Amino acid sequence: MNADLALQLGIQGLLTGGIYGLIGLGLSLIFGVMGVINFAHGQMIVMGMYVSFWILTLFGIDPYLSLMVVAAVIFALGYLVQSTIVNRIIDYPEAMQVVPLVSLGLILENMALLFWGPDHRSPETALGLDAIRVGSATIDVSRLMAFGLAILFTLCIFLFLKKSNLGKSIRAAADNRTGAILVGIKVNRINNISFALGAATTGAAGALLLPLMPVTPHLGHDFTLIAFVVVILGGMGNLLGALFGGLILGLAESLSALWLPATMKHLVSFGILVVIMLFKPHGLFGGKR
Amino acid sequence: MMDRKDQNVKGMNRRTFIKVSGAAGLGLSLTSFGVPTLLRAEPAPIKIGSVQPATGPLAMIGQGQRRGNLLAAEYINSMGGIKSMDGAKLKLLLGDSESKPEVGRQEADRLIKEGAVMLTGPFQSGVAMAIATLCEQRQVPFVMDVAALDAITRKGYKYTFRVFITAKGLVGGAVKYLKMVTKEKKVMPKRAVVTNTADAFGKGMSGGFIKFLGKSGLPIEIVERIQYPLGIHDLSAEVARIKAAKPDIIFPVSRPGDSVILTRELYKQRVELMGIFCPGSPGWYEPEVIKDLGDLILYVLINVPWINPSSPVYKQANKAFLKAYGKYLDTNSAYAYTGVLVLADALERAGSTKPEALLKALHKTYYKDPPVLGGPVQFNERGDNIGAMTGLIQVQPDPDPLKRVKIVAPKEFAQSDKIVFPAPQLWERG
Repeated sequence: MNADLALQLGIQGLLTGGIYGLIGLGLSLIFGVMGVINFAHGQMIVMGMYVSFWILTLFGIDPYLSLMVVAAVIFALGYLVQSTIVNRIIDYPEAMQVVPLVSLGLILENMALLFWGPDHRSPETALGLDAIRVGSATIDVSRLMAFGLAILFTLCIFLFLKKSNLGKSIRAAADNRTGAILVGIKVNRINNISFALGAATTGAAGALLLPLMPVTPHLGHDFTLIAFVVVILGGMGNLLGALFGGLILGLAESLSALWLPATMKHLVSFGILVVIMLFKPHGLFGGKR
Repeated sequence: MMDRKDQNVKGMNRRTFIKVSGAAGLGLSLTSFGVPTLLRAEPAPIKIGSVQPATGPLAMIGQGQRRGNLLAAEYINSMGGIKSMDGAKLKLLLGDSESKPEVGRQEADRLIKEGAVMLTGPFQSGVAMAIATLCEQRQVPFVMDVAALDAITRKGYKYTFRVFITAKGLVGGAVKYLKMVTKEKKVMPKRAVVTNTADAFGKGMSGGFIKFLGKSGLPIEIVERIQYPLGIHDLSAEVARIKAAKPDIIFPVSRPGDSVILTRELYKQRVELMGIFCPGSPGWYEPEVIKDLGDLILYVLINVPWINPSSPVYKQANKAFLKAYGKYLDTNSAYAYTGVLVLADALERAGSTKPEALLKALHKTYYKDPPVLGGPVQFNERGDNIGAMTGLIQVQPDPDPLKRVKIVAPKEFAQSDKIVFPAPQLWERG
């Protein structure tokens, strides 16, 4: 086996894994708090990509600088979605929650097609082509940035939920909705904020992904699929689980290139998923049941 | 509220109402058969079905194809429609294959049910296969504007025609131009990597190219072949493998999204190459790709059935396309445009929408000045266009990004007389 190649693939797998974790973070957060599966998750990431694409092409501001603005825009979108749609369906059986959220995904996807056209767009970004060379290995700077920020975001949200008052209210509402209402927590408002926060992480993910891959309106499904694998792997609703799930998936897919053609990537990721589901049905880190 | 008795007093209840109105409706519709229709202002439009990958991973190309089809129909209509049929206008029925064969077939079926007398499309060979079988069953002529896989026209189908070049013709052109470039420049790459998308076209095209290259006598060894799924988002692991194979040249069979990822990744991982030579696939000449890749796209050589910029039909079509959509008419859209022109030409000569008459007319096609490189469009017994040919194009520096793509061979069509090969390394371009 070629040691240089293995090292290179290992580094790339780790970095890609961080990005996968970030892709799964929002889904895990929303599920963890409300038990709602956001089927429009991937399309929200694509919206984040397009918003940062727009800011870049119209004002020349790089995705890393517009990150917070993009997150804020998608936060607002998430707030709107929760207050108008999800709050109405939150007590419905899961199968019935699927339809409005899948529809929302389709609406977002086709809106993107309408606004930005079908083209693959991948404008040059400031760090888009930068790489650090360590010996024979290459570390892609935009991937490294996305990796670092993914870990940072996960930790921030984790701490926010653990330490802040709002975070405690969110956890209280997640734990026992009736109890939370009784002690005076405005559960609907808390839900709005939680969904919006989950949405904001997808927006940030979108901005970080823009330098890495061309954006098209139809990317969303793939992101949703990755997010599902990552979140189920780590345990539904477990934030740190999503990060580790992402890292495992990224490493496995990348290292599989040593033996398997790229067309078999999904075989690796779903293979791992099936094995873990067999032995740890609630995910590696035990999620919400 | 009325009770039953009241209703009976009036002599009509719900049931009798339904009976009476049913009889009245039947009577009315029967009488209308006997009534002669008044003078018609214009003949009914002729419906043509266009199935393209308007959404899904190939949406970028699919929308371009659809626009090419639409613009050509508009052009025919603006010139007075089909004159041999009282100036009947063409009406394009639009279908979306979503880049999937099974959906393409359903859509084609729907368009035929809605009255399409001929079909065009569908860009993807896999989709073309599915539609060709359907058209054979339904006896509807199918003129493929773009789809290259040889096998589509090797099944003895009567109703399938192809304006585009076959994969064999495409591969033959690639090897011919590769020989020309290496001879002219007196350099010979020794080690090569072939990459391709793992769809019907990508596999067939790259497989054919590898086979043909092996027989060509060129001393180029394929040291690695990398296949990846259509619509992939990350090629970093694949490029790491390319780098480990230490190639002199890459032969990519790609699509617009992956070509951008591949080139940027080659840059980041500093893969040293004499150049990129595309044996024939999209991803290297679309206006968006050229704009987004900047200097990295320079000097890529592409063997492709290209537009003929000096053709008056191309000039006219390009002007209309630029006006409508703000970008130039690239080769796929130009072939889509040609497809509808060829259909209209057959309708004009057939003077009828009957399948037999259309088949006869299509077999006698001699469409003189297509907006694409090559001779007149003529179909052989299989339905392949014997006039189709490829050109060699290279992306060369030009202040106007829309003028960066230059034909470098064949000489009679050339827009630039110099070919840059080997190309400067990707990271040495300022």
